[in-house]
Amino acid sequence: MTTDNRITEKVKQTLIRAASTYRDDQKEAYRRAIGQESSGTAKWALEQLLANAEAAEKNAGPLCDDTGIPHLFLEVGGKRTVSGELLESIQQGVAIGLREMPGRPMAVMGDDRQRLDQSGGLDADPGALEPVPIIIKPVSGDVLRLHVLMQGGGPEIRGKTYRVFHKHSVSTVIDEVAGWAVEAAGQLGCTPCVPAIGIGRTHFEASSLMVEAMIRGNFGVQSDLEREITKKINRSQTGPLGLGGAATALATFLKVGPQRASGVRIVCMRLCCCMEPRVASVDL
Amino acid sequence: MIKHITAPIADETVDGLAVGDRIEISGFIFTGRDAALPKLVALIKSGELEKAGIDLNGGVIFHTAVSPAGVGPTSSNKLEIEGSISELSKAGIKLHLGKGALHESTVRALDERRSLYAVMPPVTALLQSKIKSVKIAAFPEEGMEALHLLEVAGFPAVIAAAHGKSLYANAGGGNGK
Repeated sequence: MTTDNRITEKVKQTLIRAASTYRDDQKEAYRRAIGQESSGTAKWALEQLLANAEAAEKNAGPLCDDTGIPHLFLEVGGKRTVSGELLESIQQGVAIGLREMPGRPMAVMGDDRQRLDQSGGLDADPGALEPVPIIIKPVSGDVLRLHVLMQGGGPEIRGKTYRVFHKHSVSTVIDEVAGWAVEAAGQLGCTPCVPAIGIGRTHFEASSLMVEAMIRGNFGVQSDLEREITKKINRSQTGPLGLGGAATALATFLKVGPQRASGVRIVCMRLCCCMEPRVASVDL
Repeated sequence: MIKHITAPIADETVDGLAVGDRIEISGFIFTGRDAALPKLVALIKSGELEKAGIDLNGGVIFHTAVSPAGVGPTSSNKLEIEGSISELSKAGIKLHLGKGALHESTVRALDERRSLYAVMPPVTALLQSKIKSVKIAAFPEEGMEALHLLEVAGFPAVIAAAHGKSLYANAGGGNGK
């Protein structure tokens, strides 16, 4: 299949930017947190993380050695179209970006059994790491915009998608998910975290909303519900790197989608680590 | 104040460090995680460590993969990593370097073996310039998870478990990343 080199180059650059750069609102959140910490160890940990981000951005190199699994979210609107060539060009851009960054070569080789027990070895080519299936969402206006997210392994262990019986109370849902986040933050190691939360009708929808929350969320613009969850997590005093302190969570990114006429809400929470959300966007 | 530590580490150095101390580590250090550490423990138990040319006395184990993307701490409370700490301390390791809370039983085992646990921020980009050399020490079939020997200068960390005490006294341990 033919590919569009212009698209491939844009996707490559966007993937590297996602894996190597703190967003401006994220840097500002770190600066605020450093100013608010009274513990010397907590302050030191936050300063290390911010200095690491500055070094990674300067070198266009990885923020973290776990460079993550590529996730792709494509917004399409108006007269813009999605073709096989476009999707192939995006895939090519991801592979080239992983090689140039370089990404961690962590594609597990072999048949079903070998991939499960990791007995087939790892592919030495960073570009062999397949992105997860792309999410395509219709939007208004003539838009063809790709968001690239790099998802590390620790937050996947600490993530959870489960049903919550809401009992016709918002606080029942919020208290439940905040409880998950507090427990996970104590075990994550790489705090301060950012819980990314999607609430929908099915497990797939909740997961998709969680990914969208990582894209739309802003450290400097938080809703009442987001602030409430962050506050509950920070009461734990788990602190940076779990060493104690005020900054257990820097923010919360929440996306509430359509809901089922039912007593149940499906909630997906991914506890993004101190390197995340690693996301960058580009108009194609 | 930052305390500068050079591997191999003497027992007296271990005695002089306490929970919360900030350190910078230099010298030759091993790396290993889920795949390599159980194999290393098996070598110790079979008495084949010396034959493999590995000397753990006074050594440091950094819980990380080593790849073109760099190095960075993985969670030390993963089953296969935390499960190696007591045996590796018994074989001479003086400092385990990683991240995340350890269980109380591991903190006690470290104390009994006169060994320490330190937490490193996941600062891959900063660590790149502090690595002087890299070579595979054992288990090359594990790729990035092989046992590596790094020469480093000034790796930053904070002592998180020492002499039976832990910075994580109020945090739960678990199977991590």
